[in-house]
Amino acid sequence: MKSPKPSAEAEARAEAGASPTVAKARRRFLSKLGIGAVLAAIGTQGYALLRSLVPNVLYEEPRRLKVGPPDQFPEGATFLENQRLFVVRERNTLYAISAVCTHLGCTVEMLSLPQPKSVRINGQLVEERREFHCPCHGSKYYGDGTNYSGPAPKPLACYKLEVSPDDGQLIVDFDQPVNRSFRLTA
Amino acid sequence: MGAIKDAWQQLTWTWKPQGGRESGDSIVRNLLLHWFPAKVNKESLSFRYSLWLGTISAVLFVILSVTGVILMFLYVPSVERAYPSVKDIEFAVSFGWFIRSLHRIAAHLMVAVVFLHAARVFLTGAYKNGTAAQQNRPINWVVGVLLLLLTLLLSFTGYLLPWDQLAFWAITVGTNIARAAPLVGDRIRFLFLGGHEIGQSTLLRFYVLHCFFLPVFVAFLFAWHMWRVRKDGGLACVDRLRLRQKAEKVAPIKAKTYSLLGITRGRRVHVETSLVNEDLHTVDSSPNLTRRILLVMLVTVAVTALLAVLVAAPLEEPANPRVTPNPAKAPWYFLWLQELVSDTTIRIGSFTINGALVGGVLLPGVLVLLLALWPFFDKSSVYAVGTWFTKERRRQNWVFLILALLIAILTVVETFMRGPYWNFYWPWEAWPEVPRRF
Repeated sequence: MKSPKPSAEAEARAEAGASPTVAKARRRFLSKLGIGAVLAAIGTQGYALLRSLVPNVLYEEPRRLKVGPPDQFPEGATFLENQRLFVVRERNTLYAISAVCTHLGCTVEMLSLPQPKSVRINGQLVEERREFHCPCHGSKYYGDGTNYSGPAPKPLACYKLEVSPDDGQLIVDFDQPVNRSFRLTA
Repeated sequence: MGAIKDAWQQLTWTWKPQGGRESGDSIVRNLLLHWFPAKVNKESLSFRYSLWLGTISAVLFVILSVTGVILMFLYVPSVERAYPSVKDIEFAVSFGWFIRSLHRIAAHLMVAVVFLHAARVFLTGAYKNGTAAQQNRPINWVVGVLLLLLTLLLSFTGYLLPWDQLAFWAITVGTNIARAAPLVGDRIRFLFLGGHEIGQSTLLRFYVLHCFFLPVFVAFLFAWHMWRVRKDGGLACVDRLRLRQKAEKVAPIKAKTYSLLGITRGRRVHVETSLVNEDLHTVDSSPNLTRRILLVMLVTVAVTALLAVLVAAPLEEPANPRVTPNPAKAPWYFLWLQELVSDTTIRIGSFTINGALVGGVLLPGVLVLLLALWPFFDKSSVYAVGTWFTKERRRQNWVFLILALLIAILTVVETFMRGPYWNFYWPWEAWPEVPRRF
């Protein structure tokens, strides 16, 4: 009686040194490698494409800029048209208050009061010499920027004022909003 | 963990179908895949037959569209701001240099690959009809030639957009060649340019053509092209299969036929057919076709991205209509035309035949027409369809190859051996310094 010969397939497999489970595991690994590579490729390229749309350089006015020497600003409010900003001097203190209405962005108009008016802001009595009224939808702000009438949801913003160390000009920084009580002593 | 596995299963079941039913579903129920048949012929999958050049051109078109849309956010099509915006893309925008380089490399590759695809279809006689009903491969060939011309036009309109010296003068050369067309040449140029000179109107016209009209036209023709392939029964190699194989004996079918043969003992009715036995020659499209497409996409994107990193996109000085570079050359795929134009100016006494007319309009016009209409002149038999270099079509294949080689030679000569004043220089000869105006 002849001994059973191993089949040709089994022989070849034994020669190759691989069993079915090893082959399957290798296939799974390569498949995961391939999918991982594709995801990595799509991920990095997608990131590059989208990142390119976030601007690095802006063709706009700088956010921190010089507006002139402090002496150029007389007592009361001076309107800077290009920056949409009021620079207000009260004797020797200065502060900057934005002219952009907090409702939908129109430029507010200043109303100089012929006589100072007493108003109650946050429980305190304040004397104001001017008010800001928005022509677009009727928002009204007290002289310190507090919104008291109309659709405006927030008071007018105030921005940090500094004096430049090299030529003494006033610097306004639109990236640094400050409290309404901020004053720069010139 | 189970939820993630389920979600992954939901996303990927199309690529790993369990069984024939799921495989069919994954094609038929998929928006992107349903233009493929559920089962595809094994011959069509061969890399050696088609080199998958058609798929590669489609992938390149997708790369161009994606990078192109991103570039549209960054580029400004005005004569004052075009060049600065391209400089910004190169130096100020994150990865801008890469996106621009990828777009340019994909564009040049697409012109080359589309041409190679046309050459492959010609050399395999795949523009011919086979024996199946209602095939119309010649029409698909004409659609293909139109797609080739659109590809060239897309590349040409895009070439102008950087508005540097290279762009401006390449388009000057190209549009002046077109001007030589009889009767309508000047008018065509006037409409194309939006005026007599290359200026703001030209830039805007080329921009709108490049970003909208030509891509939409290409998309429509591409859809028709693919639809025709399905209607024609697949790639031409499938027809070859049909013609070559002998009648295959199918296993005897138990038939309730009360023929004389059926009554007589020892004889059974069985069917002999000469159609392709689907079971032997087709495989499920998912995963066989889908995985190969993914592979081709991956390799194409990888090669294009690699070239984009290694080869820098040029940006010369801003366009200056008063200073002509010496020499001024058309884009590389039109250089053979420019060479012909300069060589075919014939002077007989005081009579001059304009080279632009002969070499720029008549000769290429005749060649393109011949190319487009060749399937209708081809007299070879149906046995020449879908095979590389059949004996029957040997002469036409040789003529095609020789013409293609001549065009390639002219292109190479033009690129490397034409110097200032259009003089001929061997590759080892240095070009003289040409005085330039500032």
